[in-house]
Amino acid sequence: MPAILNLPWTLLADKTEDYAWFPEAASTFAADNDWLYGFISLVCIIFFIPIAIALFYFAVRYRKPKGAKAESNASHNTPLELAWSIGPSFFLVGMFILGAKAYLNHRSVPDGARDIAVVANSWNWQIDYGGGTIHPELHIVLNEPTKLSMRSSDVIHSLFIPAFRAKKDIVPGRYNYMWFQPTVASQKVSDEKLAAAKKRMEDLGESWDWDELDFTPDGYTYYDLYCTEYCGKNHSEMQSVVVVHETEEDLNAWIKKYSQRGEGEDADKYGEKLYTRRGCSGCHSINGDKRVGPSFKEVFGNSRPLTSGETVIADENYIRESILYPKAKVSAGYQPVMPSYKGQLSEDDLYSLVEYLKTVSDYTPTDVATGDQDGSDEQTPAEGQEATVTVPE
Amino acid sequence: MSAGSIPSGKVRDPGYPTKSENYLTNSKGILSWMFTLDHKRIGVMYLVGVVVAFAVAGLLALLIRLHLFQPDGAIFKGSDANNTYNQVFTLHGAIMVFLFIIPSIPAALGNFLVPVMLGAKDVAFPRLNLCSFYLWVAGAIFFVSALCASGLDTGWTFYTPYSTSSNSSVILATSGAFILGFSSIFTGLNFIVTINTMRPPGMSWFRMPLFLWATYATSIIQVLATPVLGITLLLLIAERAMHIGIFDPEFNGDPVTFQHFFWFYSHPAVYIMILPAFGIISDLISVHSHKRIFGYRFIAYSSIAIALLGFLVWGHHMFTSGMGPLTTIIFSALTFTVSVPSAIKVFNWLATMYKGSISLTTPMCFAIAFIFLFTIGGLTGLHLGTLATDLHLHDTYFVVAHFHYVMVGGTLVAFLGGVFHWWPKMFGKMYSEWGGRLAAVIIFFGFNLTFLPQFVLGSRGMPRRYATYDPEFAYLHQMSTIGSLLLGVGLLVALVVLIHSLFRGKRAPANPWGGATLEWNCTSPPPFYNFERAPVVGDPYDFTTIEWDSENERYVTVDPEREIAPEEKPETEPAHAQGDH
Repeated sequence: MPAILNLPWTLLADKTEDYAWFPEAASTFAADNDWLYGFISLVCIIFFIPIAIALFYFAVRYRKPKGAKAESNASHNTPLELAWSIGPSFFLVGMFILGAKAYLNHRSVPDGARDIAVVANSWNWQIDYGGGTIHPELHIVLNEPTKLSMRSSDVIHSLFIPAFRAKKDIVPGRYNYMWFQPTVASQKVSDEKLAAAKKRMEDLGESWDWDELDFTPDGYTYYDLYCTEYCGKNHSEMQSVVVVHETEEDLNAWIKKYSQRGEGEDADKYGEKLYTRRGCSGCHSINGDKRVGPSFKEVFGNSRPLTSGETVIADENYIRESILYPKAKVSAGYQPVMPSYKGQLSEDDLYSLVEYLKTVSDYTPTDVATGDQDGSDEQTPAEGQEATVTVPE
Repeated sequence: MSAGSIPSGKVRDPGYPTKSENYLTNSKGILSWMFTLDHKRIGVMYLVGVVVAFAVAGLLALLIRLHLFQPDGAIFKGSDANNTYNQVFTLHGAIMVFLFIIPSIPAALGNFLVPVMLGAKDVAFPRLNLCSFYLWVAGAIFFVSALCASGLDTGWTFYTPYSTSSNSSVILATSGAFILGFSSIFTGLNFIVTINTMRPPGMSWFRMPLFLWATYATSIIQVLATPVLGITLLLLIAERAMHIGIFDPEFNGDPVTFQHFFWFYSHPAVYIMILPAFGIISDLISVHSHKRIFGYRFIAYSSIAIALLGFLVWGHHMFTSGMGPLTTIIFSALTFTVSVPSAIKVFNWLATMYKGSISLTTPMCFAIAFIFLFTIGGLTGLHLGTLATDLHLHDTYFVVAHFHYVMVGGTLVAFLGGVFHWWPKMFGKMYSEWGGRLAAVIIFFGFNLTFLPQFVLGSRGMPRRYATYDPEFAYLHQMSTIGSLLLGVGLLVALVVLIHSLFRGKRAPANPWGGATLEWNCTSPPPFYNFERAPVVGDPYDFTTIEWDSENERYVTVDPEREIAPEEKPETEPAHAQGDH
């Protein structure tokens, strides 16, 4: 039936995807959902067309000059009225039962499903692949039932994957779960195409252009993942992607690539990756623009007035504290809305971020030395004053 | 006096009011309006108020649509663009819901019509009535000050914990909504008492015009549900100001509790918006088809059924929020039951048109547009009431299209139909028929062009409340934006036609459409006292004695020539006087 719905749109243009009635069908829920949607639409059309025809036909057929009398003055017809009150109810019962059955399927996770933890915060997705690997993209394996255990660290969000026909709100203060089983794998684009795209993005000086390119920076085609519960300013930018791997080996290889800083990779370069990958870029610019949080251009090494009225010099310890305990020292003029990253970044990740901030910030290195006496060490028991370059394994 | 087109008989027509009788002119000066207790003047003030609110919120809607003309946003630019967009859609929703749709038909048209339809002089509590108007004004001022202070960006639903953490003027706006709630409660209370106690002799419950049935059902919801909104908003203010820990998880509250509280009011509120529209359409279809309404009792009972069932279905706004499966399934089942009474009404209206004598006047054009659009709005509710498909469509543009078909295609179109129907009665002027019909046609096409593409957008997965979107959705958004401009033009034409009639319109007769309810038995506009003496209550849908008087372009009631029996005249002189003394 959805094919019938698609028909008038496909006639409009060759680009069938652009004019499709539904997004791709890529999970086991999709077929059930589209069939049910088609069934309901068909029932609606069966009722609507006679109603519309009667409406316009009567308006024309019984149009009379002013003063003409009606042909009939029937006040009621109880059997007829009972028939049209009770008759449609059978369709309603059918829709209800089919809908509730399919819904229960959405709510019963099969045994042995892969469990992935999802943390939503404004306006990022953090998918936890275990072992400290956290990435905004959702990567799963073809034909494997996958359960998402989701929590929010601030307001309500909602995870929606149109291609899977699945959606669930993420409510702070509780865990919500959902599951699905992908049935169509992502394609891997050719290496040349990927290299060309990367080069183009570099030339343009842009980060990845998701609108223009239909594959991820790792070269996979993807399905959209949206936040569908209004969550504030950048709600519409709280988007991510789903990549379905053919095999578990392929998934593990991808995870490994993102699990830690590579051998010999510079800390500040890795910090730059974390800056985009872990969502810092959503609220902190590097060019001086004021977003939800202060721009990183004016953080490291600068003195910062706080909401408490004090002023601190933003040294390594202050940065570290602000990532782990964001509400302890809030910069004046900003809201205490940043979520804590405690337990989500390794010491090496923190080190890399601090190194990255040093590269984007405007400061003269001498300022930092004078700012060393501030009281930030009470929050950072382990390293004490020597917060600079020790990298714990 | 009677023309050739009317059968012989005794013609009944109240004529025209004198200047000192006309409620619009019997006293002068701004104070005579500000302190008036006349339900008709209060109704007119409400009408002006809700139209201004509608104009503001409608312009905001055009800004939203123009912004969405391009995937990255076409109107608001710069680093705060998304924020501006969020404030605009929030104010569009909040103003439309709280300041326009809820008071539109009950407060503006209801105030004018309820006492006149009852043949009464005024509502039961005229001072409470004026008070509720000023509460509406106060609520509106709160909303404007929220807008001027730091805007409002929570969406009209005020979901926690976003509304407890957002630094926009949540407290000002919720205080405004709280005050507007009282305005709504007072209006409802007034109408319940008026309809219960002030029906004239002879007007039993089942001889009331259906508009009164709908108003009665609406008033019950207003009185029972609105206090819950008041409680919810007070708790929200307390949570924000004092962290009492009921809705905010940071203080051990539960955001889903807020949603239950909020929708326990706001779902019945949907019926506050649509039930009066059903009442208007029932009257419009019957009067302009010049035929008795078909299935009066089914229509009347279905209004009450909707009012009661409407209290049991609020959970269908929360199918994805994490209620237990059993609760969710029960809410889905209850949701389907509420669709039956609405379907009954559509079938009854069609049966009323069948074999009628239809005049395609402006109000009738709006009524036909209503049936078409409301049927689409109602049927697409089935996709959302069905659980599995709702999981896909929830919070997408499908929902946006569905409720706009019900609220705009339904309530707004019925409101316009009602305004055009009773305009001659309210202001004593006839408007240009062709202008009115043109407006109805433009609105019909503009509306469909705006919202039909949104069903497709939603089915394809476009989430709602997005300031920017993926480029694959662009052409549907562009269709929608073009449609919204057309819709705006249609509404502007309607306004111009009505305003023009005030200055250039022909004088309206007492009964320009051939209605049989009591409001057509007094002059247009009615005198300040409504009726000189209590009118004779007839069947509100019996059109057999109403005739078109083509010479004077009016409908009149023609009572059959009555003869005085016995025909023989009694002697004028007493019998004993005849004899000699």
